[in-house]
Amino acid sequence: MHGLLGPSAPWETLAVCLLLLAAPAVAVRRLPHLWLLPGLAATMGVALLTASGPLAYGAAAVGSLLHAVSARRLSRTGAFTLLVAAVAAGGCGLALVGDSPASAFWLSCLAIALRLGIMPFHGGVAGLCDRAPLIQTQQLSSAIALVFIHLRFVDHHVAAAAAAPALVWYGSIAGMAGALMALVQRDLRGFYRCAATTHGGIMMAALGVASLGNFAAALLVAVATGLALGGLGMMVTALEERTGPVSFSGPGGRAAAFPRLAALFALFGGAGVGLPGTAGFVADDLILHTLWLERPSTAIIVILAHATLAVATLITFGRVFLGRAVASVAPDLDWRERAVAVGIVALLVILGIAPGLVLEPADALLGAVLGLVRAP
Amino acid sequence: MSLLVLAFILTGAAPIGSAAVIGLLVLLGDQPPRESTVARAVNAALVTSIAGSLLVLAAWVGLTGSPVTGAVELGDWLRISGFSMPAVLLVDGISVTISLFAAVLTAVVGRFSRTYLHKEPGFTRFFVLLAIFATGTQLVALAGALELFFAGWELIGICSAFFIGFFHDRDEPVRSSIRAFATYRVADAGLLIATVMTFELLGSARFSVFNDLSALPQYEVELVALMFLLSAMGKSAQLPFSGWLPRAMEGPTPSSALFYGAVSIHAGLFLLLRVWPLLAVAPLARAAGVAVGLSTAVYAALVVRVHTDAKGTLAHATLAQVGLILAEICLGLTTLALVHLVCHALLRLAQFLKAPNAIHDSHRLGHDPHGPSRLERWAPGVAARLYAASLHRLRLDDRIDIALLPVVGVAQALDRADTWLRRMLSFDRTGS
Repeated sequence: MHGLLGPSAPWETLAVCLLLLAAPAVAVRRLPHLWLLPGLAATMGVALLTASGPLAYGAAAVGSLLHAVSARRLSRTGAFTLLVAAVAAGGCGLALVGDSPASAFWLSCLAIALRLGIMPFHGGVAGLCDRAPLIQTQQLSSAIALVFIHLRFVDHHVAAAAAAPALVWYGSIAGMAGALMALVQRDLRGFYRCAATTHGGIMMAALGVASLGNFAAALLVAVATGLALGGLGMMVTALEERTGPVSFSGPGGRAAAFPRLAALFALFGGAGVGLPGTAGFVADDLILHTLWLERPSTAIIVILAHATLAVATLITFGRVFLGRAVASVAPDLDWRERAVAVGIVALLVILGIAPGLVLEPADALLGAVLGLVRAP
Repeated sequence: MSLLVLAFILTGAAPIGSAAVIGLLVLLGDQPPRESTVARAVNAALVTSIAGSLLVLAAWVGLTGSPVTGAVELGDWLRISGFSMPAVLLVDGISVTISLFAAVLTAVVGRFSRTYLHKEPGFTRFFVLLAIFATGTQLVALAGALELFFAGWELIGICSAFFIGFFHDRDEPVRSSIRAFATYRVADAGLLIATVMTFELLGSARFSVFNDLSALPQYEVELVALMFLLSAMGKSAQLPFSGWLPRAMEGPTPSSALFYGAVSIHAGLFLLLRVWPLLAVAPLARAAGVAVGLSTAVYAALVVRVHTDAKGTLAHATLAQVGLILAEICLGLTTLALVHLVCHALLRLAQFLKAPNAIHDSHRLGHDPHGPSRLERWAPGVAARLYAASLHRLRLDDRIDIALLPVVGVAQALDRADTWLRRMLSFDRTGS
């Protein structure tokens, strides 16, 4: 297969993951558990660059454990879920050692479902979204890596192809359910939680079609989702640090006090639902094409889920930022937060205009892996 | 780099480039940029866009060498195994006309707004949105494939929603912007489904694939055409999606003029002109289009008679004409429709921009009260009912709200179930 640190290693994907991992640490002055960051970065690097499946999943398991450690004080549900995800990833690595691709595939799917918060496995991510959005942002970065190693090591076996239709249905319906719930939330964190659930469902549908060889869509969906949701999580945290928990029953009107925060919230929210010019737009287009190939009805469900989430995003934006202006003594985003947010936006835009930067090398690598697997 | 590629870049990229620069100044600077800086940057970009459009026109006419017509390849937006998303533009009579027309009108509105919105708190926001809108319209006008077209289409929709909610201190504009955006998303869903269907059925989403549909069964042709019609109906506020248009008048007058008098309201019609080869062989979709267009025209003509505000009246007058243009397109009168579209847009733009002077004009010119109409004389009961129905705009919005109630019910039931499940599985002290 491919050598460690070889020219075909997914450097671009690693760079995106590391940037997202570092973003909260740069934006927030005193982020707890900063000492875990080098360990998380190292596990991510090993997971993405190694040519050994068991080692990659071992690294992913350690990464999940480290996230669990950082989450334990804020959300025990989140920490426990990350712990279970670590066990699932570790089990997947062992299944690969024992040459049991079907078990590896299902364990890897479970780990991803737990990490991305796909219904009904979303309790942990819901806890993180509610109590620790920044840790949710960080754990999204290594979830992208988890999706990559899933595509690379376990997603091209017979079991994966057999499970594809079920995964596609499951993912699209879970995504639609999340989007519908986003419409009727009563607070900002509820919206963020439902947005994460929606994207998780669509990600699972993308993994389903990836099993049939369309892995580029899944990878771009993972990257776009990670960046958009990660950015949104940072904006939610930044706003709640200034105003306390944001309920929709209270007055909105925060755009006048926090214009930059409002603009960036709109940008990240839009990127999550396919704003043209961002990676989300291309990811949506790709996933819809691939879903249509598998089952047109699921593509229509995903289109409707995106449309519903887009409306929910605007409703949320309206309830939080628009309306009669309220006075606030809290400042708008400081320069650290702005710099990080602009960096993530820049990444979203670059990948929206030139998605090939990440996708083409990854596609070549995964295509070569698929060719080698199918060669015998 | 060929002259034509440069022209395309100037036309489409200059406005959004100016928006990006202003956005960065706002996000990274300590002080917001001055009004004059914002207006100059965007208006310069809009003039550059006109120059780009003129260059495209010159290339099409043949002033820069041999005439250029048809697809112009800019490379691939994305190419991976088994899939490519082309960056292709289309030069023909329709695209050149719409590109130049939209560029000029946007620049005119940009110049008008500099004075009109002076010292308005959302001045910078207005100009940034205007620049993004300009890029959206150029993408729609010049796109040679549905993916690129869809990108522009969505940009127009998003800008429209933000313009409607421009005066966001009041609740009504915010509510109106959400309603318009929700309608747009229905239209977008139709276009997205049509795009994916076109790609999967015909192997590409370029507009040129509609020139040969012989391999496609008739029901698939009709289905794709109906999806395009659905998206055009949403964007152009045709029945039953007309309710958002009068609400859209909450936005500032220059944006109302540009969006709902001139450019955005006609985008759906332009889409139908673009996919005309498909519509031509889809009689069912065309019949539906004629029915929708004519009934919208009748509806708008009824409502416009009872409206008492200038912008609302203009909105419904626009709607009536747009309905007629839709009927013209679906009857196959595409050249007439294009001429009608351009002339109508120019007239409405002028009327909308003049709307703030309506009270002054009515004082100057006097008011001529009219007597009872023939219907009022012959059948006063019918006339009174028609009047009441028109006053309530046939309760279109209420009916749509009622139709959506089951969806909200399902959403609430799902949310309750989800809350219960999360509480059951939560280890956190107060539940999550």
